[in-house]
Order: sequence, then C-alpha cells, then structure tokens
Amino acid sequence: MTDKQDNSIAIPLAAATCTLLGTAPTSPANAQEDPGWDFNTSFLYYGESDDRVQDASLSFLARRLFTDDKSLTLTLAVDSLTGASASGATPMDVAQTFTSASGNAVYTTAAGEHPLDDAFLDTRVAIGASWQQPLGRLYKMSAGLTASGEYDYKHIGGNFGLSRDFNQRNTTISVGVAVARDTLDPEGGAPISLARMLDVGDRSNKMGDQDKDVVDFLLGVTQVVNRNLLVQLNYSYSDSSGYLNDPYKFISMVDPVTGDTVAHTPAPGAAGPSHEFRFESRPKDRAKHSLFGQAKYYWSGRVVDLSYRYMTDDWDIDSHTLDAKLRFPMGDSRYLEPHVRFYSQSEAEFYSASLIEGDPLPAYASSDYRLGDFDAITAGIKYGWKTGSGNDMSVRLEYYTQDGEIPAGQIIGNQSQRTLYPDLDAIIFNFSYRFGK
Amino acid sequence: MHSKANKLLILLSVMLTVTACSGMGVEPWERDVLAKEEMQLVTDPVEAALDDHIYFSKEASSGGRGFGGGGCGCN
Repeated sequence: MTDKQDNSIAIPLAAATCTLLGTAPTSPANAQEDPGWDFNTSFLYYGESDDRVQDASLSFLARRLFTDDKSLTLTLAVDSLTGASASGATPMDVAQTFTSASGNAVYTTAAGEHPLDDAFLDTRVAIGASWQQPLGRLYKMSAGLTASGEYDYKHIGGNFGLSRDFNQRNTTISVGVAVARDTLDPEGGAPISLARMLDVGDRSNKMGDQDKDVVDFLLGVTQVVNRNLLVQLNYSYSDSSGYLNDPYKFISMVDPVTGDTVAHTPAPGAAGPSHEFRFESRPKDRAKHSLFGQAKYYWSGRVVDLSYRYMTDDWDIDSHTLDAKLRFPMGDSRYLEPHVRFYSQSEAEFYSASLIEGDPLPAYASSDYRLGDFDAITAGIKYGWKTGSGNDMSVRLEYYTQDGEIPAGQIIGNQSQRTLYPDLDAIIFNFSYRFGK
Repeated sequence: MHSKANKLLILLSVMLTVTACSGMGVEPWERDVLAKEEMQLVTDPVEAALDDHIYFSKEASSGGRGFGGGGCGCN
C-alpha cells in the first residue's frame, strides 16, 4: 500500500493520519504507479488467557489513486469483542458479589480469583476517509474524517496535515492536527466519580451521557540519510478533556490493618454487592507529550526497522517503547520478519490498588491495571509471500505479555499473600491480503 | 512571553534541522532502494492501525508515530 508517484520522500503526515483507522502513508518512492484502486484486507484475532478479552476484527482499506498524485483512502474496520476485563477490585479469600454495570443484576467472583467484569460483549464499527494531494511542487496536504460506534461509545474526528520537502526532497517537515469528540453512554449510565457501588435497582450513583474531547498536534521531520537509511523524528502533543474515567472500573474499600475489603450488607430483600466498592475517578484533563524516532535501514537485502517512543504526561505516567523488526528476504517473492517490542510505564500519580476505610477520599483514584506500573513484551514472527497473480499475503503470530507491580507502600496486611496485579498474556494472529496494485 | 519563547525555540530547531540535514541525502537517481515497498516507514498501514488499536486498549500510551487520538471505549 505505497504510493510510488514522484520523487518526494516519505511524508510523516501520512503516517500521522495512519491512526486507529489506518490511512495509507505516502512514501519516499520515485517510481510511477498507474491510477486505479488497490485494496488491503486483514483478519485479526486477539485472545487473552483466562477467559479475558477475545477480539476478532476485519479491516478493509481501499485506495483510489488519481493522476497528479492525488489519492483517496477509505477504511472500514469491524471488531467483535467478547470476554471479561479486570474490574479493578482486589482479589479476596472469600467470594465477592458485585452489582453489574446495568444495575439490574449481580455476579459473583470466586474466592482467590481476580474480579472480572464479565458482561463484556461489544461490536465496534469504525470508518474513515482521507484525501491527499500535492499543493504546488513542494507541499502536500492531507485531510481526513474518522467515525466509530459501539453500543456505549461514539467517536467522530477530523484531521489535517501539511508537509513540505526540502533539500532535493531529502528532508520533509510535516505538521498535523487532529480533533475528536467522543461520547460515552455506558450501560446503566456513567458512574459519578468515587460513588459507591449500590444495590440492584438503585441508580443514584450514575449520570447520563458524557463527552470527551481530544486535540492532537504533530510536528515531524523525515530525512533521507543515504541510499540505504531513512530516519524520522516526531514530536506530538495530545490533550484530552472531559469524562476520562473508565465507567466500568471500580476500587475496593479496604480495612487499614487487614487489607481485606470491607463487607457490605444489601438492604433487606435486595440483591447487592457483598463488599464496599467505589467507582474510579480520573482528572478531567490529560496532556501527553511524545517523542518518536524511527530508522529504516537496508542491509544487503534485509531491512532493519527500529523505533523508539518516549511518552510523558501530566498524570505522572512516563513510558518507553522500543520496537524492532528485521525482514529477511527468502528468494524474490517471500520474506520472514521477526518482531520484538519492549514497553515500560510508570504508574499514574493517582493509581491506588485500593482505598482505605476511614481515610479521607482522594480527589482522584484508579486501580485500572493500565494506569499501573508494568512492563510488556511482544515477540512474534511474520511470513509474507506473493501469490501467483502478484498480490501480497502474509500471516503473523505474536505473543504479548504484561507484568505489573503494585507500589510496595500500597500493599496492606493480608494483601501481601495475594496476587494483586492482573498480569496479562495474549496471542495475536493476523492474516493480510493486498490486491489490485 | 513563555509561549513566545517556545515558538522561537521550535522555529530555531526546525531551521537547524533543515540546515543540518542539507548535507545528507541522495540524488534523485539514487532512490532505487528507498523506493522499495519494504523501505517505507509504514509498510502495512492496516497492520499498523490494528497494533495501535491493541496497544491503545492495553497501555497508557498511544500515538507518537501519528495521532494518539481516541476513538474507542477501550481506554
């Protein structure tokens, strides 16, 4: 899915617009490509161990190339999610009962098990359209729209990018902006921050629809270093505001000495939670800064693809991501590509494994494992080949694992005997078929 | 005042980058390797979007290569 139209070097904006919906990037190509359609289709399976999240996803990307280096890219992705997700409550030596998100029923987690919210069933449809064209001899612009919908979440967004070539098209500087408005309509309503989990039928802890706005800015430089080496450096800034809580995550209220979750007795005749839980509370703003660098090096037929990202935000999360791919050709029409990715993040300043009974409630608290301190590794391999008709197929199999840690000062009493962090293991399988080129 | 200084700094960095980079690069007829499909910064945009979606859902970071955006209720 590469443009091969003129002498321009890679336009990071195209990569920039290649966001969640995947817009085709422009390339540092110098060969001509005939106008027409080409298509990229993909099936992805993502499966977590222990009956947690399973996702089957179909993606389509269609690109129409016009004369004069103009192109239109259309994308469609359909996800089907099932399974359960860690709710944020701590495991206990006794069974725990929770009121479901809808507020209509209860469910129980066995003693010693990690509490999971098992009402997790969703279909997500995402669409996108993007237009790219040159402006004069040295500039190129792109403009795109994205939208997606799930039964409890809607997204609409737009993006615009401009790039200019310098130094005989060996340097490209790009700027981009993207805005999005997301609307959350969680099952049973969006919980009020730090509100108690209540008995079945009592929804006084919930509100109506909530909004989230996201604005992204990106500044990038792409540089051809020599005949075999291409590098890119991006700085990006992202600002989110509005309802940033995960409406399905809550925290256990625990005894300050034993660390056990405080018991709750539902009203007479009512079903309800067996213990005290509070819905999470995140700040209403988040500003993230990222630095991203990538190098592609051609090494006697092999291609080395190295990238690194540093991210820091005003929730006190810092992360480092190192990604490496090495593509080995096997004859003219096949290749093998091992991949490894290392990720490490520090916890948010308001990350709390549990809340302590008797202490004043903090303004913000979340026990979402994704805001905790953890390391993750991805390791996988991809095998690609050309079909008899000259189209591209590939299969990819990867393993993803997260290993987290609760800050020592947050482990209370009996909690030291339990596995508090819900470690994650997942398999990723991907089949891709590209045709029409 | 502060933001003005920041803007100047950004402008200066951009100018320095452009100047520093002017010594690098290739002639137009030396782009045979760079034109190869496997040498594009993103070789497979659909795969890249799928991976971004997975990591966006499971980690606190997103974006960098492109926009970090949102677009799903998974985080």
